[in-house]
Amino acid sequence: MSVFEPGLVHTPVTPFTHEQRIDYELFGKLIEFHLRNGADCLALPMHVGESVSLTDDEQRKLLAFAIKQVNGRVPVIAHTSDAGSAIAADRARHAQDLGAAAIVATTPYYWTPPPHMIIEHFAAIGAAVSIPFFVYNSPEEMPGTRITADLCLKLIDRLPNFAGVVDLSLDWQFMIELLTYAKRKREGFQLIAGTEHMVSASAIGASGLFSPLAGIAPKLIRRLYESCRKDQLLEARTAQEAVAALRQHLKTSGSLKAAARALGRDCGVPRPPLQALDAEATRALAAALEGTLRDEPRGW
Amino acid sequence: MQNKFRGVMQSPITPLKDDYSLDLATFEKVLDFHIRTGAPAISWPHHKGESLSLTIAERKRFAEAAVKVVAGRVPVTIHVSALAVEDTMALARHAQAIGADGILAITPYFWTPTREAIHDYFVRLCTSIELPVLSYNSPSYLAGVEITGELMSRLIERLPNFVGVKEASFNSEKFLEISRVALSLRPSFALLTGVEFLLPSVPLGGVGSYSAAGSVCPNLCAALFDACMASEWARARELQYKMTRLWHLFKDQYPSSLKGGMVIMGRPVGPTRPPLPTATKERQAFIRKELEDMGILDSEPHGW
Repeated sequence: MSVFEPGLVHTPVTPFTHEQRIDYELFGKLIEFHLRNGADCLALPMHVGESVSLTDDEQRKLLAFAIKQVNGRVPVIAHTSDAGSAIAADRARHAQDLGAAAIVATTPYYWTPPPHMIIEHFAAIGAAVSIPFFVYNSPEEMPGTRITADLCLKLIDRLPNFAGVVDLSLDWQFMIELLTYAKRKREGFQLIAGTEHMVSASAIGASGLFSPLAGIAPKLIRRLYESCRKDQLLEARTAQEAVAALRQHLKTSGSLKAAARALGRDCGVPRPPLQALDAEATRALAAALEGTLRDEPRGW
Repeated sequence: MQNKFRGVMQSPITPLKDDYSLDLATFEKVLDFHIRTGAPAISWPHHKGESLSLTIAERKRFAEAAVKVVAGRVPVTIHVSALAVEDTMALARHAQAIGADGILAITPYFWTPTREAIHDYFVRLCTSIELPVLSYNSPSYLAGVEITGELMSRLIERLPNFVGVKEASFNSEKFLEISRVALSLRPSFALLTGVEFLLPSVPLGGVGSYSAAGSVCPNLCAALFDACMASEWARARELQYKMTRLWHLFKDQYPSSLKGGMVIMGRPVGPTRPPLPTATKERQAFIRKELEDMGILDSEPHGW
C-alpha cells in the first residue's frame, strides 16, 4: 500500500463576517490563495482556524465546503478533535464520507486523561475510519496530558491506519525515540513537524510540515520546507531563523488575522473568547513584519 | 577563534568500592580509557558522576586526580554545581587553583530562582575566577528554571569568560533561540547538548555534546559526531537512532544502568550510591541482551 505523505500542509484561518458567522465567500478566496501559493495539502479547521470555537455542525459544513472548493486539486486533512470520544469519532466518520484524505486529532480537551484513556480515545477516532489517522501532539496547548513514544507504539498495535504524529512538542527525545521504535513496527510511520521549527525535526526524520504561517509568508515557508526535504540542513538555518522570528509575532489567531489584514486579506476578527489585536498592536505588528514580508504576496 | 570545547566530550562515572568509598585506582583507568578512545575533553563530576552524592571534599580530591591523570592531554573541566551556592564558589576557586581548563555550572538547584537571581549567580561565579565558564541549562529537571536567549545575551555581553552552554532542554525552539542570540554576540560560543543529541543540534549551530553512553560505546559517539560534521544526515540518522536505543536503556535509573552496562563491557566500576539503586544481576542480564541485540559487544572495545 502506498503511504499518504502530506508534504507542506497549509492550515488556513477561518474567516468571519462582522456578525461572527463563517464568511464562505472569503473562505473560498482564502482556499484559492493557499492553493495558488504552494499548499501541497490543506488541514482544517485546525486550532489556528478556531476549530474549538466552531459548533459541530459548522465544522462539518466548513469541511464540506473546503473539499468541494478544492475539488481534488490537493488532499484535505480533517481535524476532528473533541472532548468526547464519540463526538470526535463521529465527525471523523463524516469527514471520510465527504472525501477527506486523512484525519488528525489531539488528546481530549479538558479531562487531562491518563495514558490508557488517551489510547482509548485515539483508538475510537481511528477505528471509525479507514483513511490514515494522525495524532496531533501539542503539550503546550493541552497541559497535563502527555503523549509518549510508548503510547504511540501501543496505538500502532491497535490501529492499522495510525499513520504518524504531527508534533508541536519540539522535544528531541520524544521525536527521536518515536521514530527509532515506531519505524521498526510500521515502516511508513511518519513524523510531521507541527510548527515551522522544521530543521531539527527534519534532521531526526520528519517528512512533512503543518504550517499556519504559510498563510502569511508562503514563499519563506516553502524555502524552509524545500531545504529540509533535500537534507540541506545547514543551508536551511537562515530561513529557519527568519521563520522563528516571525513566529514570535504570530502565535495566535488574532495576530495571524491582523497580519493577513495588513497584507490585504481581511478575514475578520477571531470569535470570543479570543481577542482581536487592537489598532495600536496591529500597527506595531505590521511595522515589525514589514522587512520579513517584503517579498510575500499581498492581496488575494 | 574556534572554541576548544567541541566534539563528544566524556564525563566519567565515579567508580566506587563495595563500601561506596571512592575508588581512585579505577577512576584513573576510566580517565585513561576515555582519552585512549578519543574523548576530545574530560568533564567531571556530572550528575552521571553522582556529583550530588559526593561530599565537597571528595569532589575536590577527585578533581585534583582528574587534572593530574589527564595531564594536559585534553582539556579538563570541573562541574562545580552544588546544592549550596557557597560550595559552588569554593569548587570553582579550587578548580582554578588545581589547573583545570574550565568549569561547568547549572542554574541553582531547588529554589526556582528568578531570572535576575540566575543572572546575578552567573555574574558572581564568572567574576570570581578567570577560567572559562560553561553554563548548564536543564529546564525539564529544574522545574522550568532556564537560561533564556535574552538572559544568555546579557551574560555574554557582560562576561568575557562565559564561553558556552551545556544545553539540555532538547527543544528545537529553545535551542535555536539560544544559538541565534549567542553566536551573533560571540561566534566562538560553544553550543553543546547534554546527551548525544547531535543530529538535531548540529544543523542549528551545535558543535558537540557531553556523552551519556561513551563509557560503553566510544566508537559510536565518534562516528555520530563525524557523520554530523560531514553533513551525512542519512548516516547520522541511523547512528542517532542507535544511540537513542542506548539512551533509552541507560536513562532508566541513570547512572545505575550505565554502571551495569560497564560491567558487561569488561569495565566494572562498582555500585551506585543511594538513593540511586545499583544495577542487579537481573538488570545486568537485561542490559547484556540489549547490547548484544544492538551489536555493541562486537563494535565497541571490551575491557580497559
